[in-house]
Amino acid sequence: MTLSQLVSYTLGGVGLLLFLSVMVLAMTWGERKALARIQMRMGPMRVGFHGALQPVADAMKLITKEDILPSLANRPVYWIAPVAVFLPAFMLWVTIPLARNLVLRNLELGLFYITAVTVLSVLGLVMAGWGSANKWAMLGGLRAAGQLVSYEVPFIMAILGVAMLVQSLNLVTIVDAQSKYGYAVIQPLGLFIFLTAGLAELGRTPFDIHHAESEVVGGPFVEYSGAHWAVFFLAEYMNTFAVATLTVLLFLGGWRWPDMPLDGSAHTALSVAWFLAKTAVVVGVIFWIRGTYPRLRIDQLMSFGWKLLVPLSFINIVVTGVVLFYGWPLWTLTILSLVLLSGMLYLITANPGTRMERKTVTVHPVKAGRVEPTASTTQTGTETDY
Amino acid sequence: MIGFLEGLLVTLKTAMRKPITAQYPDPDKRLDLANRYMGFPALLWDRDVEEPYCTGCMVCIRACPTLCMSAQMKDNPLHAVKKSRRRKVIDTFEVNLGRCILCGICVDVCNFDAIEMSHNHELTKYQRNGNRVNLGQLIDMGKAYQSETSWVPKQPDKNSGVPLKTDSAPRSGQEMSDRASDVGAPARHSSIAEISETTPKEPNGIETQS
Repeated sequence: MTLSQLVSYTLGGVGLLLFLSVMVLAMTWGERKALARIQMRMGPMRVGFHGALQPVADAMKLITKEDILPSLANRPVYWIAPVAVFLPAFMLWVTIPLARNLVLRNLELGLFYITAVTVLSVLGLVMAGWGSANKWAMLGGLRAAGQLVSYEVPFIMAILGVAMLVQSLNLVTIVDAQSKYGYAVIQPLGLFIFLTAGLAELGRTPFDIHHAESEVVGGPFVEYSGAHWAVFFLAEYMNTFAVATLTVLLFLGGWRWPDMPLDGSAHTALSVAWFLAKTAVVVGVIFWIRGTYPRLRIDQLMSFGWKLLVPLSFINIVVTGVVLFYGWPLWTLTILSLVLLSGMLYLITANPGTRMERKTVTVHPVKAGRVEPTASTTQTGTETDY
Repeated sequence: MIGFLEGLLVTLKTAMRKPITAQYPDPDKRLDLANRYMGFPALLWDRDVEEPYCTGCMVCIRACPTLCMSAQMKDNPLHAVKKSRRRKVIDTFEVNLGRCILCGICVDVCNFDAIEMSHNHELTKYQRNGNRVNLGQLIDMGKAYQSETSWVPKQPDKNSGVPLKTDSAPRSGQEMSDRASDVGAPARHSSIAEISETTPKEPNGIETQS
C-alpha cells in the first residue's frame, strides 16, 4: 500500500465516520419525532428548531457523564466490549456504496464481507454482558447471542436469493442489475425475510429481546454509562442505518430505479439524494414498526425464526434456483414468491400459539333521566331500574 | 395477519392527528384554566367602596389545616367617614403559599365572601421563603381573578360594603350600645371607634401562626 493510498483511505474513513455520526444524530431525532407523532405527542421541541439540536445536546450530555466501572467487572472485557460492537458496525460501511463511485472500497465479495462482519457484533454484546458482572447484563448478552445467531441464517439466505439473481456479490453490480425494477418486485418474500431478520439482527422493537427494559433492564448495556454507552448507541443506530441501506441496495434499486438525469457530479449528487431518500423511507418504516408492535416473547422469537423464517428462506432459494435453472421468465418468480409470502402470513395467523380471538362488545346508549314504563312493561310486570 | 396490518394502520392514523401536547411555559400555548379551577387563595376587592371584602375576622386562619395564614384587622377609616358599611377591615394579611395545600376550607368558612381560590397556580421562586405573600399581593391576585372570571359575591346583600340608608342618619345610642355588647366590649361606649381606642392592642399583631 502506498502512502497516497493510506492517506486517501484515512481521509475516506474519517469522512465516512463523520457522515455516519451525522446520520445517527438525525436518526435519533427522527425516531423520537416519529414515535412522538404516533403517540400524538410532539417529541423534542426545545433545543433548536423543533428540537433539531436535541441529539447534539444528548451527545454532549453523554460524553460529559461519568464513566462508571462496576467493582466486580472484568476490566479489559468491559472496556473492549464497546469497541468490539462498534468496529464491525463501522467496518460494514467500507463496502456500502452511496452512489456508483462514492464508496470507500468496492469489494467483489462485498455481500460476503458484510455478512461476515455483522456476525462479529455478537461477540461484543456477549463481552459486555460478561464483563459487567451483572446478572441482567449476562442474561441480555446470552439472549443477544441466541437471537443474533438464529436470525443470521434467514438474513444471509435472503441476501443469497438476490445474489443468485445477479450472479454477483458486488453491491454496485447488484444495483446496476436493478435499473429497470427493484428486486422487491421479483422477490417480495425475500424483502420480507430480509427486513424481518434485519430487525431481529438489530434488536429493534418487535425483537428487542436482548435489551428488553422490562425484563433485563437494558441487557448488556445495564452497567455502561457516559461515552461507552454512547458508543453502543452509535453502533446500534449505525447498524439500523446499514440494514435500511442494504434493503434499498438489494431490493429497492439503490440509486437507480428510476435512473437519475444529468451527468457528472450533478448526477452523483442526485443519485445520493435519491438513495438517501429511499433509505429514509425504509428507516421510517422501521420506526413505524417500532411504534406499533409490542415485544415478542423469547419463545415466540425463536419459533418464528427457526420454524418459519429459516424454512421459508431455504424454500425461497430453492424456488429462485429452479426458476433460474430452467430459464423461466422472472415473473413466475414474483408469483411464486407472493404465494409463499401469503402462505407464510397464513402460518403466522393460523399458529395456535399466537392466535387471538376477537371479541366485539356492543355498547348501547343509555338515556339519562327517568324512563317512563311503557304499557307493555307494566303488563308483563318487568321493572326498570331507574 | 389482518390484525398486524390493522395495527400499522392505527398508528398511521394517530400519526396523522394533531399532537395534544400543550407546551406549558409559553404563555400563548398553555391550556385554558377552567372557571372552577382552584389555585391559591386570594383576597377579593369590593369595587363599590374600593376596599377589600375581608374584615379580618380570623375564621379562615383558625380553620386553616396547615396554619399558613396570619392576619390583623384594623378600624375601617372609610366607615368613620360613612363611606363603607364595614366597621373593621383587614390591615395585614400574610399567607405562606408554600404551605397552602389548596384545600379551599378558608373559602368555605368565610362569612364575608372575602377569600376565593384564585387561578394563580405557579409558585416557582428563587428564595426559600419566596412564597410568603402579603396583603397587597393577595389583593392583586384577587383582582386578577375577579377580572378573569366575572366573580360576584355569594351574599351580595349581606356583604356589600355600600353604606345602608340608615347608616347615613345618626344612630340612636341604644342601637350602638347593643352592637357594642355583641363584640363583648363594655356597653358604656357609644361608638366602635372608642372601643378600639380603649381596648389594649397586642404589639405583635393579633395572631401569628405561620
